Amino acid sequence: MIRVQQETFDVGAEQRAILDGRSDVGAVVSFTGLVRDFNERPEVQALTLEHYPGMTEAALGAIVQKAEGRWPLQGVTVIHRIGRLTPADPIVLVVVASAHRRAAFEACDFIMDYLKTRAPFWKKEHTASGDYWVSERDGDHHDASRWECS
Amino acid sequence: MSLINPSLTHLNARGEAHMVDVADKPESRREASASGLIHMRPATLALLAEGGLPKGDVLATARIAGIQAAKRTHELIPLCHALALSKVAVDFDLDEPNACVHVTATCRLNGRTGVEMEALTAVSVACLTLYDMCKAVDKDMEIGAIHLEAKTGGKSGDYRREVPAATAASVIEAATAPIVTGEGAAGEVSVGSRCDIAAPCIRVKCLAELRERLGVGDVSVPIGDLPSADVAGLKAALKAQDPSFEGLDQGRVLCAVNQVMAGDATPLTDNDEVAFFPPVTGG
Repeated sequence: MIRVQQETFDVGAEQRAILDGRSDVGAVVSFTGLVRDFNERPEVQALTLEHYPGMTEAALGAIVQKAEGRWPLQGVTVIHRIGRLTPADPIVLVVVASAHRRAAFEACDFIMDYLKTRAPFWKKEHTASGDYWVSERDGDHHDASRWECS
Repeated sequence: MSLINPSLTHLNARGEAHMVDVADKPESRREASASGLIHMRPATLALLAEGGLPKGDVLATARIAGIQAAKRTHELIPLCHALALSKVAVDFDLDEPNACVHVTATCRLNGRTGVEMEALTAVSVACLTLYDMCKAVDKDMEIGAIHLEAKTGGKSGDYRREVPAATAASVIEAATAPIVTGEGAAGEVSVGSRCDIAAPCIRVKCLAELRERLGVGDVSVPIGDLPSADVAGLKAALKAQDPSFEGLDQGRVLCAVNQVMAGDATPLTDNDEVAFFPPVTGG
């Protein structure tokens, strides 16, 4: 399940939903990304997440499909928030269910790496010293490239 | 014939002020946003940005003032109801080129009456607080352009302020014009707009930082203007149309055709949607 929304999300509820009525899931891994109060500049007061409606959902769907092709997964939930968020707010949730922990850990890691480099979201940070668009990080591309050579 | 304009809901049949009875109105989700700005000397703005003003953290104080004011609107405006607001957000955008601070406020609730007065009050009081916090160094500051941006919910329907045409080239227009900061705040840009010209055309979108850098969000390009029917041809046509599109070659700019990643050689046909955007930074 893929959702792009302004509202917050409840990690517990999303995890329960993915497991509801199933007894074949042996492992569920969830990752939650939060707004930090420091980034390229200190004192981040808020950030605004913009996306490209339509393409966003398609890109997330393609990433999940890729993960499902690599690992035996029994359920995947990806929720990404948009709009204005403040420090400590959750931004993104990935929940992955599988029969075994390794697949769940790896698929969750993979989905986040690909999401950060391929899904059309952009962050604008609002700080005490003004607003700026966050620039891409080489580290994210390096992280995503780990999955290409295996 | 009655002299009373029936649309003035705060006047009763005798033309006297009265408070509208909202007990029987259905509850709905109401949201309103308003904005305004305060002009100041560039030096004052620089001090504000650095946190060098004698009264301390100016923006944090003005934000709280705006939020408090929204909650107390009914005490200030005679016929306003006391509302249990579910959300008040006050934001500031420091605009160095125009030497001003843009103030926006958004109020929301599920209720029986609109929240535009709350949003307007929040903006007004946040501006006044900015003045108070900075007046030690600058007494020439000027507050202005306070207006409703949008409201949703309720019987009177949705309202969105039309951006005035860029004919009046005052500082204020220039400041409010950057097409999308307002829409960007909601985290979205419009999609699927049809071509606004009759000839076959390509619909172009610039997103996020690129949109703000180029100063344009959506533009249509007649397909006949393209020297070649592909993305490279579109870029050439855009640059011929406006030199600011040279920015498409500055830094890393990505491209999607009909929402699928594409490159310079990707072919284009009538009514294709082409988006240009900077590298993604979500997650």
